[in-house]
Amino acid sequence: MIEFSGVSKYYDQDIILKDVSVSIEKAEMVFLTGPSGAGKTTLLKLIYCAERPDEGHIVVAGWDIRKLKQRTIPFLRRNLGIVFQDFRLLRNKTVFENVALALRIHDMHPTEIKEDVFEVLKDVKLSHKANTYPAHLSGGEQQRIVIARAMVTKPTVLLADEPTGNLDAETSATIMNLFRDINTRGTTVLIATHNKSLFQGTGCRILYLRENQIEKELIG
Amino acid sequence: MRIFIYSLQTAFKNLWMEKWINFLTVLSVSIGLLILSTFAAITLNMDAVIKRWAMSFGLVVYVEDNLSKEKENKLKDLLQRDPDILEVKYISKNQALKELRNIMGDESAILEGFENNPLPSSFELKLKSELLHPDLVKGKASQIKDLSGIEEVQYGEKWLSSLNKITEIMKISTILLGSIILVAIVFVTYSTIKIFFYRRKDEIETLKLLGATRSFIRFPFLLEGLLIGLAGGIISSLSLFGIYTIIAMKIPLFMPSIKAIMVSLPLSIYLSVPPAGAVMSFIGSFIAVGKIRY
Repeated sequence: MIEFSGVSKYYDQDIILKDVSVSIEKAEMVFLTGPSGAGKTTLLKLIYCAERPDEGHIVVAGWDIRKLKQRTIPFLRRNLGIVFQDFRLLRNKTVFENVALALRIHDMHPTEIKEDVFEVLKDVKLSHKANTYPAHLSGGEQQRIVIARAMVTKPTVLLADEPTGNLDAETSATIMNLFRDINTRGTTVLIATHNKSLFQGTGCRILYLRENQIEKELIG
Repeated sequence: MRIFIYSLQTAFKNLWMEKWINFLTVLSVSIGLLILSTFAAITLNMDAVIKRWAMSFGLVVYVEDNLSKEKENKLKDLLQRDPDILEVKYISKNQALKELRNIMGDESAILEGFENNPLPSSFELKLKSELLHPDLVKGKASQIKDLSGIEEVQYGEKWLSSLNKITEIMKISTILLGSIILVAIVFVTYSTIKIFFYRRKDEIETLKLLGATRSFIRFPFLLEGLLIGLAGGIISSLSLFGIYTIIAMKIPLFMPSIKAIMVSLPLSIYLSVPPAGAVMSFIGSFIAVGKIRY
């Protein structure tokens, strides 16, 4: 589902990623870990095409990232669900509108949007907050809305960048359960985190990034 | 279609959310368009006045003194067949003398000193309005003068060239003022939409990450610009109608002569202002949104 071969990325003279080669299978759940500045976020950005590789090849869900034209990027991203540490919810829209936005971009019929949004809000146990604005939600609730927004389009790949970075242990566990549920439904999940407790005992593959390279692969 | 409806809803929502800055932009656009349409109304009225003046313009063709009646008739026939000439009026020697006597009144006794009528017979010609240009009239006059039996051709050369100058100045002023105002409208909308675009930068980034296409991101901004221009245009048209109606009613009360000159503004002027505003504002917002990069 995700294939990196000999990928390098530089910012001016600084090496961000060097000769990264990794393969993530369909419906696999993988953790990406390592110290700050190791290149975790850049690796995710390369997948959703916010950055382009300077060397090597990346294939995501059948899309060759190097060959992708600017106007085609949105169509690649429609296959991906992205969860950010800083949530990126639209403050002037309600919970319902925030989640529905992803489906509007997919040009879905309003009736289908309503059904799907309420279904996914039920999955993250926040259907009672549909008309609430993000500012009135806790950090954990906001992150669940972000996950709902990422899930609602039924993406083939779900990427999460430090999804529990601002959350307490109990809320983090809830969020992780949601990711496991999504993965069980057949979605490939890649989570970048430096929080070891998230992947310990999961039995998932862990990619350890250090000094801009994948230093080792472990099983959690 | 669904994206269009969604964009329209978003545009209206955003217009309402930023109502004050939008109100000021609509006001600026409408003032600009009002100045432009007022100028167009003035031009239209002046044009009507000039056309009226032009109606009285004519060429006087003096015939050689010893020309026979038969030759004069042939000449008249030739002039009447000319497609550039609208009207040919023959003035005989006697008629010319009679008119001169009328003009001179008491002093006409001077004319009694002449043994013979010293005045030539002549033709008064009215030309087609599209020919009322100094160069064209000059050409026509020399063409007529070359005809056999013609002594002289006279016309108000200076008057015609002044008239032509006024028309030219009016045309250039309209184009210049119109261009300045239209560019100003583009700029005003550009500034407003640019501000909105920067304010919603985070929102745009999120939309991009969710897989929104360029048109999905652009459309609400373009529609906002278009609606601002349209609203400005409608306000401007209504204001022009109001102002013009009041002027048409009130001014003749103390300047009755203006009633004969004033023309009623054609509906096309009122109808063309809102689309003009919409197009200019649309261009402004299109430039403001610029190229969206992923």
